[in-house]
Amino acid sequence: MAKNTDLHETRQTVTYTGVAGWIDRRLPVLTGFRAEYITYRMPANLNWLWNFGAILTVVLMVMLATGLFLAIHYTPSAADAFASVEAIDRQVPSGWLLRSIHMTGASLFMAALYIHLFRGLYYGSYKQPRELLWITGLVLLCMVMLTAFAGYVLPWGQMSYWGADVVGKAVGAVPGIGGWLEHFLQGGDAPGDVSLHRLFILHFFMAFAVLGVVVVHVAVLHVAGSGNPKGIEPPAATVPFHPYYSAKDAAGLVLFITVFAVLVFFFPAIVAEPENYRPANPMHTPADIEPEWYFLPFYGILQSVPSKFGGLVVSVGAIGLLFLAPWLDTSPVRSARYRPVYRLGIVGLVVAFVTLGLVGRHHAEGIWMIVGRIATLVYYGHFLLVMPWSTRRERTLPAGVEGTP
Amino acid sequence: MSRLHGLAAALAVLGGVSGVRAEVPTTRAPTPAHVWSFDGPMGRFDMASVQRGYAVYNQVCSACHGMAAVTYGDLAGIGLNEAQVRQIAASHKVPGPLDDDGHPTRRPATPNDHLLSPFPNPQAAMRANSGVVPPDQSRLAMVFPGGPSRIYALLTSYGPAPAGMTIAPGHAYNPYFDGRQTAMPQPLRDHQVTYADGTDATLAREAEDVTNFLAWAAWPHLAERHRIGARIVLYLVFLFVLTILLKRKVWSHVH
Amino acid sequence: MDSQAAPLPRRDFLTLATTATAAVGVGAFAWPFLDSLRPAGTDVGRLPIDVDVSAMKPGQQIAIVWRGNPVFITRRTPAALAALKQPALAPRLRDAASSAHQQPPYAANWHRSLSPEYGVVVGVCTHLGCVPGYMPDASASIPIENWPGGYACPCHGSKFDLAGRVFKGAPAPYNLPVPPHHMMAPGTLRVGENPPGETFDFGDIVQI
Repeated sequence: MAKNTDLHETRQTVTYTGVAGWIDRRLPVLTGFRAEYITYRMPANLNWLWNFGAILTVVLMVMLATGLFLAIHYTPSAADAFASVEAIDRQVPSGWLLRSIHMTGASLFMAALYIHLFRGLYYGSYKQPRELLWITGLVLLCMVMLTAFAGYVLPWGQMSYWGADVVGKAVGAVPGIGGWLEHFLQGGDAPGDVSLHRLFILHFFMAFAVLGVVVVHVAVLHVAGSGNPKGIEPPAATVPFHPYYSAKDAAGLVLFITVFAVLVFFFPAIVAEPENYRPANPMHTPADIEPEWYFLPFYGILQSVPSKFGGLVVSVGAIGLLFLAPWLDTSPVRSARYRPVYRLGIVGLVVAFVTLGLVGRHHAEGIWMIVGRIATLVYYGHFLLVMPWSTRRERTLPAGVEGTP
Repeated sequence: MSRLHGLAAALAVLGGVSGVRAEVPTTRAPTPAHVWSFDGPMGRFDMASVQRGYAVYNQVCSACHGMAAVTYGDLAGIGLNEAQVRQIAASHKVPGPLDDDGHPTRRPATPNDHLLSPFPNPQAAMRANSGVVPPDQSRLAMVFPGGPSRIYALLTSYGPAPAGMTIAPGHAYNPYFDGRQTAMPQPLRDHQVTYADGTDATLAREAEDVTNFLAWAAWPHLAERHRIGARIVLYLVFLFVLTILLKRKVWSHVH
Repeated sequence: MDSQAAPLPRRDFLTLATTATAAVGVGAFAWPFLDSLRPAGTDVGRLPIDVDVSAMKPGQQIAIVWRGNPVFITRRTPAALAALKQPALAPRLRDAASSAHQQPPYAANWHRSLSPEYGVVVGVCTHLGCVPGYMPDASASIPIENWPGGYACPCHGSKFDLAGRVFKGAPAPYNLPVPPHHMMAPGTLRVGENPPGETFDFGDIVQI
């Protein structure tokens, strides 16, 4: 097991002078930065999937900055929200660009988050001693999903309103307290001015709370250090973070930003749901209410289960299961690279997840209902069947692979 | 020819008598494809057409439709200068403050005023339009299923209803609406509008121009987005090459 | 464990080129944020305002809002105008000749306006910005000897005559500003626009 001291420079090789030194001796910001981001030891064999942590951090900063400047022009009331967003898009100088970056950024943030998460599942990043890293990451997932949901309601278009309505009804499905809870959270019988005000504050606050939890997440990471694709700990070779991973992260980041820019400037319609450009109308439900793509798999699970509350439980349970991964899978072999059955399980999980997204789009009608149920079972199966099986049957590295697992 | 007519008439009568009737379709016709200058990742607006389209909107469509998200000042984006924008604004009246007796007044618009619906509320709009509210056109080209191509198709496809089809009172036949009928009477005809630049205002030309204008209203920053985007993506590709080269250089000792 | 030391000298060209190119991009990225803080829309507040003064009685004041500030339009009585011309008034004023640049050139006269009948001043005290009250006559609550009529600021007691000129002994340093104005038609005063042929930029005054 990699120890804290192995990752951080033990002797001071640089002394800071002048004002910088004065501050550093009283609050070691420079010494700390050097230890955590310059001389900090990283495995030498990381692949491009390890870029996504840095990518997520940068996209988070972009979202906070664009969000802040959008909030300057936004009015969080049911009467004026839609018009204020139209004003941002049309009259505020560069408003269309800030809004477009924010909208596209939300989708790309979720995409990067899913890739980052699946990297973790594949390479055993949740295993001891990184359980807390995994848990803080999942807490971030939940916080980001809440932020994204609240943010989508803010323009107060048709999808905003009816999406809030569906979520309210889902909360209302909780037995016993559901009706009261829905009314309490919404501040009324239906989404309206009160819930919009609350969701605005929730969105704003949660976004900055995410930043705080990210700091905790990275701090936890720096205790055990990064995992690596082979899952061999400690890694066979290490390199200092700078310049190796500063350079690699920079390249990956620029590629990601290029994709971001292509979407913002040439394909904005991919993330723009046209129905949400109609002002909210409580009297008219759009033909196809569906959440944004990143919620579709959970929407698919929700619709595949015949009971309202049951759907909620199974859908939320799909995220809850992730929290249990470090205890469901305790095989000493970390990486799926060396666990063929587990790898099959992961493939099944990814296919099931994508399929559930398609089920969500098709409103689980007819054949899609059956497909959805099978996919839900495959999803749950990975955690409840494959993981325990792999714990018991996939415990040794193949011959020829160095290192103890 | 008359023999064919006689044959056709006989068949029609026979068809009617025997109860075998050609089914009159009521599902909307598929939208015919139409090429637009703003299509695609490097699309642009034909601003001359958009300006003519504004004239069509102003003289025809604005009698029933508003564009509440658009201000007169936004019209600078179709290539008008500040003086023209002020003049256009001032030629429209918008609700003003209550006068000293508490009665509503109207005042000339300024560039910050919006292109409001002519109806004070949706109920009045419904009353004047066979129970249908003429939709706001700010984002119509984006939200209307079928988009600009369908808008163009429906503007140019009014005609007599096929035999056997009942049209509701106050409605007109048009294959590109759901149910193949609409509460919107034919808005455009040849030379309905006189263009300032002398272009011949045929129905097709008017329809094309006003559709271009509606598309501009739905995507007002499209040209700027594409122009800036090309430069930014080129810059990023250049930067990516640099960062990749640097990464490989840094890692060259390790691999 | 095989550790790698820092592999190459810091200041090589590729690093410099990459860092510089990236820095340009980061700087450019700041631009839309700053641009979004510019005022959206046309500055309608800068358009001139037409005021109907045809129904004004002598001694009456109308207050309008121009560029966010109150502007007093006063129809001065013949008695008030006579009081303004009194030679005993000038020594009591801080800037009787309006030498400080607080008014357009066509208002640098004894009545500080285009025509003596209508006074147009910006109603913002040049001390700390309160709105002075209109005091055409001496009142019991503010006893002043030989009050020729004018404006009295409630905050710190500055007094101005009916042409907006500040009295000595007042904390206010300058005369009340005069905005650009001219008579569009008999009975319509346009505030915010100079008469044809005149140029005056209100932004150039010493202090509002």
